[in-house]
Amino acid sequence: MAVQRKTVVAGALALALPLALAACGGDSSGGGGGSDADTLTIWHYENDDSAMGQAWNKAIEIFEDEHPDVTVNVENQTFEQIQKNAKIFLTGDDVPDVMEYNKGNATAGQLASQGLITPLTEEAESRGWDSTLPASIQTTARYDEQGLMGSGDWYGVPNYGEFVGVYFNQDMLDEYGIAVPTTFDEFEAALATFQENGVTPLAEAGAEYPMGQLWYELVLHYADRELVDDYQLFSADVDFHGDAFTQATEKLDEWIKAGYVAADSAALTAEDMGVSFINGTYPFMVSGSWWFGRLTEEIPFTWGQTLFPENTMHPGSSGNLWVVPENAVAKDLAYDFIDITLRPEVQEVLGQAGGLPVAGDSSAITDPKTKELTENFEAILDDDGLAYYPDWPVPGFYDVLVSEFQSLINQSKTPSEVLDGLSSAYESGKTDLLEG
Amino acid sequence: MTTVDRPRVRNRRSRDWLGYLPYLVPGLVAFTVVILIPFGMNIYYSLHKWKGGNAPLRWYGLGNYTDLLADEQFWTSFRNSVAMIVAMVLVPTVIGLLLATTLFDVLGKRFGPRVASVLRASYYLPQILPVAVAGVLWNWILNSQTGALNVLLREVGVTDPPNWLGSTSTALPTVMLVLIWIQIGYPVVIFMSALQRVDPELYEAAELDGAGWWHRFRAITIPQIKPETFVITLTCTVAALKVFGPIYVLTRGGPESSTLVPSYYSYLNFFDKSKVGYGAAIANVLTVLIIVVAVVIMVLQSRSARREEEGR
Repeated sequence: MAVQRKTVVAGALALALPLALAACGGDSSGGGGGSDADTLTIWHYENDDSAMGQAWNKAIEIFEDEHPDVTVNVENQTFEQIQKNAKIFLTGDDVPDVMEYNKGNATAGQLASQGLITPLTEEAESRGWDSTLPASIQTTARYDEQGLMGSGDWYGVPNYGEFVGVYFNQDMLDEYGIAVPTTFDEFEAALATFQENGVTPLAEAGAEYPMGQLWYELVLHYADRELVDDYQLFSADVDFHGDAFTQATEKLDEWIKAGYVAADSAALTAEDMGVSFINGTYPFMVSGSWWFGRLTEEIPFTWGQTLFPENTMHPGSSGNLWVVPENAVAKDLAYDFIDITLRPEVQEVLGQAGGLPVAGDSSAITDPKTKELTENFEAILDDDGLAYYPDWPVPGFYDVLVSEFQSLINQSKTPSEVLDGLSSAYESGKTDLLEG
Repeated sequence: MTTVDRPRVRNRRSRDWLGYLPYLVPGLVAFTVVILIPFGMNIYYSLHKWKGGNAPLRWYGLGNYTDLLADEQFWTSFRNSVAMIVAMVLVPTVIGLLLATTLFDVLGKRFGPRVASVLRASYYLPQILPVAVAGVLWNWILNSQTGALNVLLREVGVTDPPNWLGSTSTALPTVMLVLIWIQIGYPVVIFMSALQRVDPELYEAAELDGAGWWHRFRAITIPQIKPETFVITLTCTVAALKVFGPIYVLTRGGPESSTLVPSYYSYLNFFDKSKVGYGAAIANVLTVLIIVVAVVIMVLQSRSARREEEGR
């Protein structure tokens, strides 16, 4: 009995363990940081066959040529693993010298404000990264003391970009005699035509990011740059019941009511959405350039990609960042490596594979579809049209967006109630961030 | 004489105690390192606002706990814990008891113990299946558009099949059904071994006295396997209160927080929102609740055992 009681109490106490252990930090990382400067340890989470994976391999090759005495130790991690655990393993000494990490206030900004990654401003200036990278790409590289992006020191270096656009099934458009929409009205008319013919027009997913990105495209349709800066960079207070947010949310609600989004999509994942578009179930998919390679590989029909009609700003940003942990040993080697990833030969590998280079140009790209994608991205950059992602402003906002738009899909909340939910989470998250 | 004896006795006692010490040390060290220290740290963190990492800790006193009181999602998560107890304790224990007695009394006797143990193993299978695998499996079945279940329902003419994990009205009951599926093998296995422990002479005597199956079940089986019932109730209640894996793989607390549970909510604050102190406070509240529930169940168990002893 006594033994049993002890076991139970111990079991109950053990519940708090993972959290407490997580909080106490320590050397919980796998892999090594290289005990001297003879080793460069790189962590990233790109597949070898992705555009980024191919480009990183090229960069590693160049690095090895130029540093014959240095052993390069590459460790493939998963996105989730790095995303969730970075703040734990980076407090230890056994850290990589350079690491790929997600960008934004809620991610790289957190690591920067937690003092876990190295400021790179000096390197950025002396190596010219600050002139190589377009201004809107630099936003995600810099974070202030509170971890807010857009100003302060450089903490990461992006070398590719991404944006959200509209993928369309040309065969289905042809079948119903619809031209690729170039205006917002044409887009809505196309959605209506499909719906009238019994085809749900938009591939969507309520359990993950896609629905939030569609909403944000609509916000950007009605918003100006000032609102985006207020929302993303806290330049001023945001009124969620102001015109742009209200019009966008009501429009989304209208589309859901009209059946442009499947009523049963609240629990679907991004993968479900992609697969159903690839299978030809839906004619349109509003999502990111990260799908491009996969769609090229797997789609059997004629398809195309265009920017969200009439929008001058688009969800998108730099790609993930290379960051240098504060406790890294071979920091100089890490800077050399980052510098190499921005060289034209590496950027070209990215571009050819559809990876949206940020320091290259599209003229060398041979595949017409890849070229079009890259040109679309360059057009956005030229217009300073990257508006980042809706979940970026405050940590944990992603889950709030998912939950609120599930309510809209399920029609359990009105647009106004959804905006109330977004507003209160945004305000309390903002207060937490600013208080530090 | 006594003056000579006393130190000897004391010496022997202390020697005995020293003899046990080496066996206790690993357990004590492990308990301290793995449970006591982290728990202490978790309490410490819960009294601060902290982003984690090398960020500064800011003293917040009981602020995180008072914030919890006004946090609607926190209360939702605990309300859902009640549903988890229904799905992981109540229903599986009742069904498990019925299945175990059926397997033991009817199938085991009619078709032999091998059939009974094969069936018992099949009921237990979901318990050994990693929860991530079970989650993927159930997502295949329950996906609103491509899931096997809804495809089947559409085949038989249901035009608008339920959106199992996507609608607020069905998500929690659906998660509960999956949990019942996962959980049921555990009481079956425990109850079957308990039934083997019961003296068959009791049943024979009752049968001679003309007691039917139901009478024997009520008067012999249930009282005889009471200790095991307590063990199942205790372990499963603890498991239900801290359930995390199935929620993570099936719904991530959604849609609209309708399947949120305390452990997932703690994780969400801890990792996604970088609100380490708040996440730690939720974990601590959960820990205290589990300790209280465990103690209550154990007190009931010892009281029942004592009553039985006195009754004899």
